[in-house]
Amino acid sequence: MKTKMDFPAINDRRPEGLKEDGTPYRVLIVDDSMFVTKQIGQILTSEGFEIAGIASDGQEAIDKYKELYPNVDLVTMDITMPKMDGVTALEKIMEFDKNAKVVMISALGKQDLVKKSLLLGAKNYIVKPLDRKKVLERIVMSLKK
Amino acid sequence: MRVEYINPFVESAYSVLKEVLNCQVSRGELYLKSTCTPVLGVAALVGLAGDVEGRILFDMSKDTAIKVASVMNGEELKELDDLGKATITELANMITAQAVTKLHDLGFKFDLTPPAIFTGDNMEVTTAEVEALIVPMIIPYGKVEINVAIRERI
Repeated sequence: MKTKMDFPAINDRRPEGLKEDGTPYRVLIVDDSMFVTKQIGQILTSEGFEIAGIASDGQEAIDKYKELYPNVDLVTMDITMPKMDGVTALEKIMEFDKNAKVVMISALGKQDLVKKSLLLGAKNYIVKPLDRKKVLERIVMSLKK
Repeated sequence: MRVEYINPFVESAYSVLKEVLNCQVSRGELYLKSTCTPVLGVAALVGLAGDVEGRILFDMSKDTAIKVASVMNGEELKELDDLGKATITELANMITAQAVTKLHDLGFKFDLTPPAIFTGDNMEVTTAEVEALIVPMIIPYGKVEINVAIRERI
């Protein structure tokens, strides 16, 4: 009698959030809205990513990035935030770590800032409303860049 | 107030509500209020200043706000707590941002304030010297009124 072992495990896909060695990618989420951080957190953890930290303004984002470095693989960065905006925070993070992988997240209406962010070194951007497919696709693409 | 100011808000409210709630959305009859307007219970207010000035109010009952926030969070909220308010704020942000992109493309330049959430019973809002145009958007959880009072800066 054949056992399950004899069949190839075609559905055994590695979750997107895990590296080849099986450890999770670590993500820092930056957004001043509790709703958005929760939403991104849920999408990412459902695919095996680990939330390394959460920051609610640009200055906190820089501090957390430095604290976590080098154990942080990617940052999701909101643009409009109190104290320091996401574009300035991106610039400072890129100065600190030129290989940082930052994905900008914004509502429409900020095209100029999105362009500026990409020139400053952001790997990608996601326009709100967020959905699972869009978020995972852009983040996975950025990790491979 | 010119009607072209309200259309971008109605269009973006329609598409954002449809996308985040994944439900049918229909548009009620537009009406005009020249004096004060009653607030339904939960209102998100965004201010505009620039070539045009005024405010937009996203107004709904508390019950509708809780249901909308529950759907957007994928979990049932019992009350309009901090998470619920953050969710309604974000909804107002997304609708406003899309509408503003359209208005900027039409050549109007202005800045926005972050949304402020008002909750309570028997509230009214008065915008002196600017009439408000209101379009109710009907969703399975009640209605969301898009209340726009904008004028050109003199």
